[in-house]
Amino acid sequence: MPIIQPLDRDKVEEKGWERILRRCEEVQAPDDLFVRILARAPGYAKAIHDAMHMSHAEGNVPHTLKEIIRVQLARRAGDTYFANLRSRKAIEEGLTEELVEAGCGDFEADPRFTPAEKWALRYAWLMYREPKKIGKAFYDEGKRHWSEAQIMELGGMIALHYGMQVFMRTLGAFPLRDPRGRPVDEAEARQIYGPRVGDGLGG
Amino acid sequence: MGLTEEMIDEGVERYRESGKFTEAEKLAFRYSELMATDPGAIGEEFYGALREHYSEAEIVELGVFIGFNAGYHTFFGTLDFYPMFSPDGRLVSQEESRRIYGDRPVSHLRGPLARAQAGAPEGGARAAAAPRR
Repeated sequence: MPIIQPLDRDKVEEKGWERILRRCEEVQAPDDLFVRILARAPGYAKAIHDAMHMSHAEGNVPHTLKEIIRVQLARRAGDTYFANLRSRKAIEEGLTEELVEAGCGDFEADPRFTPAEKWALRYAWLMYREPKKIGKAFYDEGKRHWSEAQIMELGGMIALHYGMQVFMRTLGAFPLRDPRGRPVDEAEARQIYGPRVGDGLGG
Repeated sequence: MGLTEEMIDEGVERYRESGKFTEAEKLAFRYSELMATDPGAIGEEFYGALREHYSEAEIVELGVFIGFNAGYHTFFGTLDFYPMFSPDGRLVSQEESRRIYGDRPVSHLRGPLARAQAGAPEGGARAAAAPRR
C-alpha cells in the first residue's frame, strides 16, 4: 500500500464524494486511490480533485494534448503512480501510447505535432528543468498559437499536476489498474510498472 | 505564533540549528525542503518520523500544501509579476514593487523593507495608494 493508506471508499465523508468517484471511473487519471489518500485531510479530496479535473479534462485546450503533458510531467517528477495512469477519456478521443511516447521524447522533430502543440509540450518540458528559459519571448511565441486564457489553462494545469505528482512520488504508489484496465493489487501493479519512471527529479 | 520576518528567515535559512522551532516544525520544514530538491529521499522512514508528530490528516495537509506550492511558484516565476503590496502594506505599482523586491527573492530584512520605507509617502506607509495600472 502507499505509505499513507487511502481511506476505504465507504469511509469517506466528503461533499460530492459520489461525483468524485464517478469522474475517477470515467477518466481514470487520477483513479480513486489518489482521492482516497487526499480524503485523509477533510475537504481536500473535493478541492484538489475539482481543480485537477477542471484543468486536465475540461477547458479549451485539447484534453489529449494535456494528457501527454501530464505523463511527461509525471516522468519528470519520478512518480510511478501518475506516470502510469492513462486517461480513458483521452484514449477514447484517439490518444495512443505511441503519441504519448512521442510527446515525452523528441517532440520538437516529430511531424505528428503542430507548432502550437510543440510549444505547449516545450512549456511543460522547460517548466521544471529550465524555467528561466520561459520568459517574455517564450510567452510571445505562445500567444501566436494560443489565447491568454489557454496559456493560463496550460500553466495552471502544469503547476497543479506537477505539484501533486511530486507529493505522490514520495508515497510510493501505483495505479489500481493494469494498462488494459484490469484491476490489480499493489504487488502486481509494482511488478507490471516497475520501480522507476523517466528521468525523475532527484534520482 | 505571531509570525515575524525574523522567524521567516530563521525557518527558511537556519531551521536545523535554530532553537526557536520544535522538532515537529523542523520536520515540516525538512519535508518542504526535500520535496522541492530531493523527493527521492522522502520514504517510509521519513513518514515514520512525521507520524511521531502529526496525524495522517495533518501529513496529507502538509504534503498537498507543499506540492501545490512547489508546482505553482515555478509557474508564477515565469510570469514575471510582483506583489501588489510593499512589505509595509502600501499598494504599489508593478514597477515600484519590482524595485522594492528585486529580481531574486531575499529576506525582507535585507533590502525590501528598507526600500519600501524609503519610498513611502509622508504621513505613513499606508496613507497613499499607487495608481492602478
